[in-house]
Amino acid sequence: MEAPELNDYREHLLDALDDQPRRATEERPGLLQVLVNHERVGMLDCAHTDPSFAFTARERSIQHLEIRSESGVLIGGCVAPEAGHKDVRIPVGKGAATIHVENHFDGGSLQVQYETAPRWWAHLAAAMGLPSETSKPAASATPIWTMTTAFAQIVLAVGVVALLAERVPSWMGSDDRAHQLEEELAARQSTQEQVDRVHQQLAQLVEAQAAAVAISRSEQERIAQLNNLVDTVTLAQQKLNTQVVTVQEDLQTVKTGVAQEVQNGIRVAVSTVEAERELVRQDLQSIKSVNETLIKQVALLESRNRELHARLALTSLEVAKANAAPKSTVLAKNDTAKDAAVSTPVADGLRETDRQAFMFWVAFQDGTTEKSIEDLVQELNGIKKGPMKSGWYSVEVNLPKPEPPDRFLESVKRAKIVKSVVTSKAMPPAQ
Amino acid sequence: MSSKLPDGKTMRDGQIFSARLNNVVTTEREFDELVTKSLPELLDRATGQTKRFLRETNQWGDDITHEKLALRWGYELVERFVVFGRAEVPCRPFFLLDSLIAKSFSQPDPLCYHKELLTPVGRFLDGLASRAVVSRDALITLFYHFYGFSQAHVVKLLGFGQAESQRVYKNFERWRQSGWQRTMNETGLSGSEIEVLEQELLTRPDHLNHEVDRLMPVLQSHYRKSEPEHYPCLSEQKWGQLFHDDYGHDYRVWHLAFCRDCFMEVADRRQTEASNGLKPQVNLHIHPLKKGGVLALFGGDRGGRHHGSTRAQRLSRTSA
Ligand SMILES: [Zn+2]
Repeated sequence: MEAPELNDYREHLLDALDDQPRRATEERPGLLQVLVNHERVGMLDCAHTDPSFAFTARERSIQHLEIRSESGVLIGGCVAPEAGHKDVRIPVGKGAATIHVENHFDGGSLQVQYETAPRWWAHLAAAMGLPSETSKPAASATPIWTMTTAFAQIVLAVGVVALLAERVPSWMGSDDRAHQLEEELAARQSTQEQVDRVHQQLAQLVEAQAAAVAISRSEQERIAQLNNLVDTVTLAQQKLNTQVVTVQEDLQTVKTGVAQEVQNGIRVAVSTVEAERELVRQDLQSIKSVNETLIKQVALLESRNRELHARLALTSLEVAKANAAPKSTVLAKNDTAKDAAVSTPVADGLRETDRQAFMFWVAFQDGTTEKSIEDLVQELNGIKKGPMKSGWYSVEVNLPKPEPPDRFLESVKRAKIVKSVVTSKAMPPAQ
Repeated sequence: MSSKLPDGKTMRDGQIFSARLNNVVTTEREFDELVTKSLPELLDRATGQTKRFLRETNQWGDDITHEKLALRWGYELVERFVVFGRAEVPCRPFFLLDSLIAKSFSQPDPLCYHKELLTPVGRFLDGLASRAVVSRDALITLFYHFYGFSQAHVVKLLGFGQAESQRVYKNFERWRQSGWQRTMNETGLSGSEIEVLEQELLTRPDHLNHEVDRLMPVLQSHYRKSEPEHYPCLSEQKWGQLFHDDYGHDYRVWHLAFCRDCFMEVADRRQTEASNGLKPQVNLHIHPLKKGGVLALFGGDRGGRHHGSTRAQRLSRTSA
């Protein structure tokens, strides 16, 4: 359903395009619309005494110029460079409009001038139906000379026909033979003049053709140059490509170099770190051992210190023992006691710490009074511990440390009332 | 897609021409010859590039409306190519066409593309407005198609003298004879589509006029793009001055045809002076004004006040 409609539309448009040149040449020069960059900027009245139009564009250059008839038929125009100038001559009806565009990057100016064609040429053009626009062209393979000759012949023939046609009505309408002859002569002369003109025109045409051929040749040369240029560019491109490859390779080399360096660097750095770590470990180890040594030394020092303390205490005790008797008399007799007040507590302190509690069991001779037992215990500086069990008394004494208990027990045994002495810790000796 | 292409013969010819179109053409005559023979190929190339442009700018839709749009713009590009190309000889035709297309599409906002304008009424209005940019006939008759103004009313609105009035009549005449039909053909509106629009205007005139009223700003802002450089909006006072001191005739035509707001203001003002009293309003007309058609200015019958005779033209037409 849609495709035929679209195809119809396409055909319509193709017909319109096909018809465009005919419509353009059929337009009579009247009011021409001037459009710059697709915007109408004004009108050119061809009927005016000075049919010209000027326009200046600000901000934008005149890139796109159209000349249209009042009804909108596109008659001519051009695309102009953004900077620089462009001259175009377009046929408008039987005349022509010359267009001059001058552009710079931020603006441009436009001049359009309409020129009417010379009268005799207008006749020719009318008679020929503007051959340059509509005449059926010869095959493109035809040599230019043949074309030119044929064209010249057509021009001549049509020119003569046109001139004759102009005269026919006067021949028909006149009855004055002499006048007719005169007319004819004049006409012939005029025809000769016209023929001369046509010849001249033809010569100009040939010149133009030659120029066109020259242009074509120079164009071909330009194309050849362009081709060369393209070759050069291609070559340069290839060179560039190889250079790019080389650079890429270089880059690759540089890359691997850099990578290796970096790796080496990392390796060095890692080993350095490891070495440092090892050192630290060793340091730690040594610090540890030093620490242990120190701890041992401290312990040793502490034990020595204790030993020293003990020795000091012993020495002090012995000194105290040695001075014990005279001192107590001095103390009893002399009640001034600054020294004593200072020394006694020191001696007591020492005694307290350096005495050892010693407990033993003692049995007395039969018949020993309680009073005698009490006296002995008191003499020993001892304390009866608990009641008598199976004839044994438990006694605790504080012995000065250096005195061995055996010697003390021997001295106890020597007392008359003592029957036996044993050193069993908690229980009385067995019966 | 293949059914939309021309027949095989044309395609084979096209292939032959495409080789020649890539080669250098040295004379104007050679150019004309070659171009005349390869128009289908040139049109397809320009249409293809327009489609690509539409796709790349996310303005494409796979339907006949878009296909037609692409064809229409392709056609306009080839028309310019055919006319300008002669001045560019020697050249390679395909390269020249491509550069022309590229240059056109590199312009700011090169195509009037708006989704709303893809409906039949949108395409109709777009066709008229785009034609009015290049055709004075279309420009002058916009006043008729948009507001129902006849030649006489246009002359009055624009305050034209004798010579210019004659031109307005000529514009209407040429438009009636060929301009309108050609515009419809080139826009791609089929006869049946136009008939449907005509029917809708008969049955639901308010609805369609409302639609026109809504689409006009979209349309006009695109085609009035030469502003503000050449023809900006004017204040009421400035418009009055322009008419009083009798200058800026081109300004009046161009701006009032392409600016609804200014038109309403000026038309109202000049209408008041003509003591008719009715406010100007959008009043769509599909076909051109018939020959000898006489129109009541601001007919007042918009919306079908008289049953079965909604258009003043039909009421008062003296001849067809
Ligand atoms: Zn405005």
